[in-house]
Amino acid sequence: MEFEFLVDDKPHKISLEKKEGKYIFTQGDNSFEADIHVISPHVISVIMGEQSYKVYFTQDKDKKYFYVAGNEYIIREPGEREESLERGEEGTSQDKLMIKAPMPGKVIKINVKEEEKVRKNQTLAIVEAMKMENEIKSSIEGYVKKIFVSAGDLVDSEKPLIELAHNE
Amino acid sequence: MFEKILIANRGEIAVRIMRACQEMDISTIAVYSEADRKSLHVQVADEAWLIGPPPAVESYLDMEKIIEVAHRSGAEAIHPGYGFLAENAAFAKLCEKEKIIFIGPNSKALDLVGDKVRSRLTMEKAGVPIIPGMKTVHKRLSDYDAEARKIGYPLMVKASAGGGGKGMRIVWKPKDLRPSLESGRREAKSAFGDESVYLEKYIEEPRHVEFQVLADNYGNVVHLFERECSIQRRYQKIVEETPSQALNPEQRKKMGDMAKKVIQVSGYNNAGTVEFLLDKDKEFYFLEVNARLQVEHPVTELTSGVDLVHQQLMIAAGEKLSFKQEDIQPRGHSIECRIYAEDPLHNFLPSSGKVLFLKEPQGPGVRHDSGIYSGCDVPIYYDPILAKLIVWAEERDLACQRMVNALDDYVILGIKTTIDFLKEVIRHPQFRAGNTTTDFINKYFGQWKGKEKTEEDMKVALMASAFTDLERTVPTAAGFVEQKNVFSPWLSLGKWRIGGK
Repeated sequence: MEFEFLVDDKPHKISLEKKEGKYIFTQGDNSFEADIHVISPHVISVIMGEQSYKVYFTQDKDKKYFYVAGNEYIIREPGEREESLERGEEGTSQDKLMIKAPMPGKVIKINVKEEEKVRKNQTLAIVEAMKMENEIKSSIEGYVKKIFVSAGDLVDSEKPLIELAHNE
Repeated sequence: MFEKILIANRGEIAVRIMRACQEMDISTIAVYSEADRKSLHVQVADEAWLIGPPPAVESYLDMEKIIEVAHRSGAEAIHPGYGFLAENAAFAKLCEKEKIIFIGPNSKALDLVGDKVRSRLTMEKAGVPIIPGMKTVHKRLSDYDAEARKIGYPLMVKASAGGGGKGMRIVWKPKDLRPSLESGRREAKSAFGDESVYLEKYIEEPRHVEFQVLADNYGNVVHLFERECSIQRRYQKIVEETPSQALNPEQRKKMGDMAKKVIQVSGYNNAGTVEFLLDKDKEFYFLEVNARLQVEHPVTELTSGVDLVHQQLMIAAGEKLSFKQEDIQPRGHSIECRIYAEDPLHNFLPSSGKVLFLKEPQGPGVRHDSGIYSGCDVPIYYDPILAKLIVWAEERDLACQRMVNALDDYVILGIKTTIDFLKEVIRHPQFRAGNTTTDFINKYFGQWKGKEKTEEDMKVALMASAFTDLERTVPTAAGFVEQKNVFSPWLSLGKWRIGGK
């Protein structure tokens, strides 16, 4: 059976077939045989070419989490995320103009006003979370188009704070 | 000894204190905010009392409320843990007035050592070396300009009520002074409720070496040797160890004696830590007294064999120290790594959310002081510390290896943590060589891009992912899908469909 997964937004096409109690894993032109067993609700044991791997696993909404040999892999299936990547350049430059909260927290201070010109890396706002202040910096040289929050507001991660625009 | 005490804290430290109480047959009372109903400390305690909404000022910092719970529940004493009310002299005073024992120093000593500026003066008079800097606090920001010129750049902005790196800023140029003072004040106000800041000469490439001290109510003072805590990010420690690689026996004795002097001069009792900076030439300067149980106290416990929380409780109950300085003979090497809910790839930004899965590390010489469990929420309101991993071994190399292995055996899925990062820190050749200074992280990990992942491991992850999808379509094959009454993520793969064409 064929699968397509996104790891760190990079697509991987593979196939996995069951054959006589073992599994055949194929990626590109390479195939490997593996012995895979469920150990407990969050643990899978994989033996591939005599190498033994203990894989920890959990999932949340559209993300699956795997932990292999000291590394975490967050795996999604292609969907909206990929489409937005395919839109490419335009999407990313648009992202740059919308300054979002990097984590859930509280807006402590807005350092700029609408229409104000800003330099790259200038501090636009300060958001506090877990007793720590984080300076939100400008990603571009331009001006402030719109401010969506004010000091004292509680914000969620990814909440738009400030929209910037390039100088005309 | 007490029969019942209240623990005015949350997270791993509240759990740690409760364990000590259980060992001593003392009933425990937890207090919790609305955000912490399901937190571990609430589950571990004998009694749990709701004290208010999530923001700390309305719950864990609400002195009146906590005192009220202490009275109503019949608690004889309050253990403040670290952070929150731990070094709040007003709270210690209030406890004294209300005839509840504050498990920590007396309010007078707390007042003195809590005021960094006043304690610097006291220490200077007593012949303890201090870092050159301001000896008073100013109200007007403009008054700091002249002080800054006098001390010279680079310099540090520090919170007078300080601790934990909160309110601390390094200033390289005069034009950065004003913004640093402003944000330092704001952070100090938010963390300690006191916005006073002062300036101090910045010591370059220093090591942070501190001494653990115990003092009973009868003037007996013993130190339990040093901890080196030079590995820091944002002036906050993330790796601590003992013994320090920088001290020889002679220097260790000199600093230990000085630490005891600091405690005596301050009229201090209970457990405390005397912090020093050690410069390139191994000159040391008094930094401050941390008037509480420290986050990193376990490394001292593992090498000295003394349980510091037990000692705190016994001292607070009026018992005399049962050992003398010469009885303390540290053995082996201990390292602690702090596990924070933070993203090391994004400037250590806090990462709140749900711990979807937790696998605690195990093995000989491994200790895990934790405030989390599989399924717990990490709220945004409090310090992002999740747990501490501590190892002990006969010597440092083995302790490092043990730590790396334990970190490898430690799995937290669902939120970003410092586990991977810490692994790389402990593995780093300069750490292995003992070349630890407070700029270590900036110097060697400033551009850290995360650990390289091998093709082979990626293959296994993809295979496992395909396996979980594949086996869902063949439910009987593995036999695990049939246990419908048991919660299992294998059963909730509903949103996943088979990819491909």
